[in-house]
Amino acid sequence: MKLHRIWGLFLRYFYNLLRTYDRLTDVFFWPLVDLVMWGLTSRYIAGSGIGSNQMILAILSGIILWIFPWRGQYEITVSLLEDLWNRNLVNLFATPVLFSEWVVTLLLSGIFKGIISFAFASLMAVLLYATNIYTLGILLLPWAGLLMLFGWVFGLFICGIIMRFGTKIQNLAWTSIYLIAPFVGVYYPISSLPNWAQSVSHFVPASYVFEAMRASIYDSPLPLTDLLWPATLCLIYFVIALVMLYSSYREILKRGLISVE
Amino acid sequence: MSILEVKELKKTFKTTPIIKGLTFDMAEGEILGILGPNGAGKTTTLQMLLGILTPTSGSIKVFGQDLANHQSEILEKMNFSSTYVDLPWRLTVKENLTWSAWLYNIPDRRKRLNQIKDLFRLEKQWSMPVASLSAGQKTRVNLARSMINFPSLLLLDEPTASLDPEVASYIREFFANQRNTYNKSIILTSHNMAEVENLCDRVIILKDGLIFGNDTPANLAKKIEFSHLRLRVTKNMGELDKLIALRKLEVVKEENNYTITIKEQLLPLFLYELTKKNINYTEISIDKPTLEDYFMKVAKGKLL
Repeated sequence: MKLHRIWGLFLRYFYNLLRTYDRLTDVFFWPLVDLVMWGLTSRYIAGSGIGSNQMILAILSGIILWIFPWRGQYEITVSLLEDLWNRNLVNLFATPVLFSEWVVTLLLSGIFKGIISFAFASLMAVLLYATNIYTLGILLLPWAGLLMLFGWVFGLFICGIIMRFGTKIQNLAWTSIYLIAPFVGVYYPISSLPNWAQSVSHFVPASYVFEAMRASIYDSPLPLTDLLWPATLCLIYFVIALVMLYSSYREILKRGLISVE
Repeated sequence: MSILEVKELKKTFKTTPIIKGLTFDMAEGEILGILGPNGAGKTTTLQMLLGILTPTSGSIKVFGQDLANHQSEILEKMNFSSTYVDLPWRLTVKENLTWSAWLYNIPDRRKRLNQIKDLFRLEKQWSMPVASLSAGQKTRVNLARSMINFPSLLLLDEPTASLDPEVASYIREFFANQRNTYNKSIILTSHNMAEVENLCDRVIILKDGLIFGNDTPANLAKKIEFSHLRLRVTKNMGELDKLIALRKLEVVKEENNYTITIKEQLLPLFLYELTKKNINYTEISIDKPTLEDYFMKVAKGKLL
């Protein structure tokens, strides 16, 4: 892998972010909408005596942390779609760019935009609700890392499917992660799910992060070792998703990159 | 020295063979044209040469290295331009060329970008998004991008399509100059036969996935034995019609303008007969066979 090529690709996606209102909307507008809607709702519930300030922090932290898997997945799939819409995939792969360099750039773009959205949303939470997610401390780092990895798994997997079947199933780029969202427990504890859904949640690494976050807010922080199992699970999924994406890439090389555009 | 060696290259899509076994090579500093009717396999061949389509069998060696195993190294010294491939359209021309320059690790990027801007006359479009450019301007940007790494081997798919005649002529001169000055090798596909005839040292004609002809444009044209004799007849048109019928010649007639297709060696005799039969004409021209004539015959299957 060559750093200059990764930087070139990164610039390509960065310029696109600056030039595209849709992508800027994704980074700033939607996190803000979620924050306003859920923040007001939780404040209302807390004010009615049912909830508490801890609940506000838990819900807002959930919204803000959810940015990582959402951005991680979304960035990878929408970047691929942008290349397909622009008929630009051939321009990428008829250059010295390696498949691995392209994938690494997509992952880095996800981190970059995820951090911008996270910083923006956490600042807005302070300004709008005087709620500071950073009170959760250093634990935010491993949680954010695991959630980003979880988002990448989805992103790579959906990318593989879109590469194989084309843009006719592009809706998956926006909807796929919400299929798993109910099992993640962003706003509610996993124990509130029906038994069968709780069993599914065991295999959803992100659910452990949100449980750990709620434990930190309501009770006491869980030891980091509790994240070993979801991290291992996530790494296994990540490798499977990478293999799946690579096999889709090899497959479209047999049909011709132009065919997928 | 051979810069490109293609051996027994085949490509089958599902059960349909598209390329049925191409073997050719290309010398350094050569401009090679690849021509063929629609569906002959030109684009498929170019895609395989760029490594964006996996061949079913056969081998491609570029700069003496196997493309399948050294793709990234080889593509550092190659580039391509196609009318059918777009650049990210929201990015400006400058941004598109900047990220491309990084891919090739161009030393002194700013200087190279300025050179490219001047060479392809992109000053006015430099800060404009690609989406706002005309088709011809986009083609120029694509060509500019293909030269960003100063490639040793350049693949051009219809490079002058959608360019106005003045710019097209400038671009043709530019590429001819690149070869003459820097010994660049260029593979070119085009539907403009005059362009291919003027630019290419050698032409490969593809038909149904096979090489049908592989020679200089002049030698390919020579394979057509017929010339076109054009006459504006002023007297004894009836006699001329009878003579054409007698000799069983192909003719296109518009009022007193005749275009007669005739074997080159029969021309002197035919002209003598015109004089003998007192057939008068005010204008005469003889068109020698061209690459286009050869191509048309191949496309229509008349040389098979």
